[in-house]
Amino acid sequence: MSTRSRQASPEIVPGSHQIPDTLQTVDAKEWRLDLFRCAPPLKRIARLRWFQFAAVFPNLLIFLLFISAGIFGTPVGNRNIMIIFVWILWWFLLISAMVPFASRIWCAMCPFPFFGEWFQRRALVRVAAIDPKKEKKGGPGSVIGRNRYFGLNRRWPKALSNIWIQNFLFLALCTFSALFLTRPIVSVVVLSSIFLTATIFHLIYRQRAFCNYVCPVSGFLSLYSMASMLEVRSRDREVCDECKEKACLAGSERAWGCPWFMYPSKMERNNYCGLCMECVKACAHDNMTVNLRPFCSDTRLKGYDEAWKAFIMLSLATTYSIIYLGPWGFLKDWANIAESGKWGGFLAYTAVLWASALLLVPGIYYGAVWIGKRLAGDCEVSFKDAFLGLAYPLVPLGLLAWIAFSFPLMLVNGSYILMTLSDPFGWGWDLLGTSHIAWTPVVPHWTPYIQVLFLLVGLYYALTTGYAQARKLFGSEAAVKAFTPVAILLTACVSCFAWLYGG
Amino acid sequence: MNPVEKGGRSGHGRLWNAALFLAVVSGLGTLGFVLAPAAPAPKERSITVRAHRYGYDPKIIRVNRGDRVRLRFVSEDVTHGFYLEGYDLDVSIPPMHPSVEWRKPSQPGKLKVIDEVAFTADREGKFRYRCSMTCGFLHPFMLGEFIVSPNRLLPVSLGLTWGVLVGGFLVVVLKGTHK
Repeated sequence: MSTRSRQASPEIVPGSHQIPDTLQTVDAKEWRLDLFRCAPPLKRIARLRWFQFAAVFPNLLIFLLFISAGIFGTPVGNRNIMIIFVWILWWFLLISAMVPFASRIWCAMCPFPFFGEWFQRRALVRVAAIDPKKEKKGGPGSVIGRNRYFGLNRRWPKALSNIWIQNFLFLALCTFSALFLTRPIVSVVVLSSIFLTATIFHLIYRQRAFCNYVCPVSGFLSLYSMASMLEVRSRDREVCDECKEKACLAGSERAWGCPWFMYPSKMERNNYCGLCMECVKACAHDNMTVNLRPFCSDTRLKGYDEAWKAFIMLSLATTYSIIYLGPWGFLKDWANIAESGKWGGFLAYTAVLWASALLLVPGIYYGAVWIGKRLAGDCEVSFKDAFLGLAYPLVPLGLLAWIAFSFPLMLVNGSYILMTLSDPFGWGWDLLGTSHIAWTPVVPHWTPYIQVLFLLVGLYYALTTGYAQARKLFGSEAAVKAFTPVAILLTACVSCFAWLYGG
Repeated sequence: MNPVEKGGRSGHGRLWNAALFLAVVSGLGTLGFVLAPAAPAPKERSITVRAHRYGYDPKIIRVNRGDRVRLRFVSEDVTHGFYLEGYDLDVSIPPMHPSVEWRKPSQPGKLKVIDEVAFTADREGKFRYRCSMTCGFLHPFMLGEFIVSPNRLLPVSLGLTWGVLVGGFLVVVLKGTHK
């Protein structure tokens, strides 16, 4: 690109100094678009004390409506708003829109921690702050930083400060997906259990320990939010370094300290940021903002727990594609144990799913990384670093594989949304005049093409980010050799999906 | 600065890399399209589809483009549907009864009771047939596959998939060579 065109173009150019002040580069390759500078009303909204309450409370009411529909409504899944709105609409929006474009925005509006957080704070909107200089730390509740909390406020055990619990819980839950995806009352049991557990955990452990370490939904949101195009970050690290108050961490009279145990000003990844905007409210220097950024900007898996989450998610996407989108009726019977009663089949399905997710897929990946490391020759990179670095491509690939799986469900079953909106309980109501419209799949014959397109996008990002990781780890010379086995494995994986969807 | 010296990061380098990458991807995709086996001469096929919770037998119907397809239906338990994507065809299959209700989804309201559905497989590719009558818990996932040869989607997809790998590899290797 010529210098002239650089100056003329409003888009960001690596290394260019012609950058509008709403855009800032984090390094020479990546751009950031400061949304609070681009659209100041967004900042005003984020700084409102009642912002999160306004997002969560309507969702809580909707959740209660769904629970009521699940209990009192028709047991026919595709006629009950609980099934259609949660597992078709919400899931589709979550995986196809919220996660890729808005990170963990769902966590900012999730109703599960509503009561727990209320009990902890004894406030829905206001902040309970103390001034440590003037006020003694005694009194009711516990003081954490500059905020006062109620409940037991225990610290979460260090040994469990990872997402292994979420990994196992999610896998366990998904093993029984054929039950809760299709039966409203089972969905009620599952969602109510999560709701109740969240409340109890908030009473025992401090802040968002449940969301960070237990919630089965939060686990994959944390992983895939790394790919998201949205982030909360500090504008200028130096301002944070010089800041004495550290209100984003410790809280203040303006806001609660980060409920997710993050130090927002030093945050480098999206994984454990719930977009609650407390840090934006807390910062006295107006240094916290929300950026738009390139897809797949966070590229560092920090532990095996996160890598295994990626393996589990990819295995589940494959398994679900085979069972729910494939023509093999006997597999559906195996998964649908409550109706078929085929325990042998169910055990085989469970064993294959768990073995694939926890052993087989990681084992194959381990082999590919090992071969790559050998091909790269002598190097000082530890196997753990190589494994975690080269496991990152499973984040974009897994996310796009999930979108490819979810898209046809929406296209084919989307018309049920209009039906159940008019008749949420399946009682024969016709509130909006749409309860009797015919089931109408939308361009269902295009779905294999759309699915393959998503997979190709996923593969592209998997290969580019994987190669970038290999370069960081092994240097430019050895990167191709180190990454080749993994790249072939990823391509073979997409080929299998392509066969499944289009073959 | 020379675009090559800058490791392909400059405008020209990027453009060249993107062009090379897209050329390889589309080239292999086209190769897949060309190499897909041609369909043999059309013929007539009579198939009985047996529907049961939650699948069909046969679960995959393979025909060639231009084949005249005659379908008869049997439901082994409850009323099922047979909605064929891409062919404007929807059938309601009552249990243990040879006649079915046939309709075109594009023309709602018009129903015909018939023993056999006949149509020409004039659209190639992979289509799914789905149950369109709520038949039980896993009803939304009751489906089968109707594959009309030549199904070019798979070879083209595989060509594109491996094209992404080969194209990316070439971009990286050639960049290294330039350096």
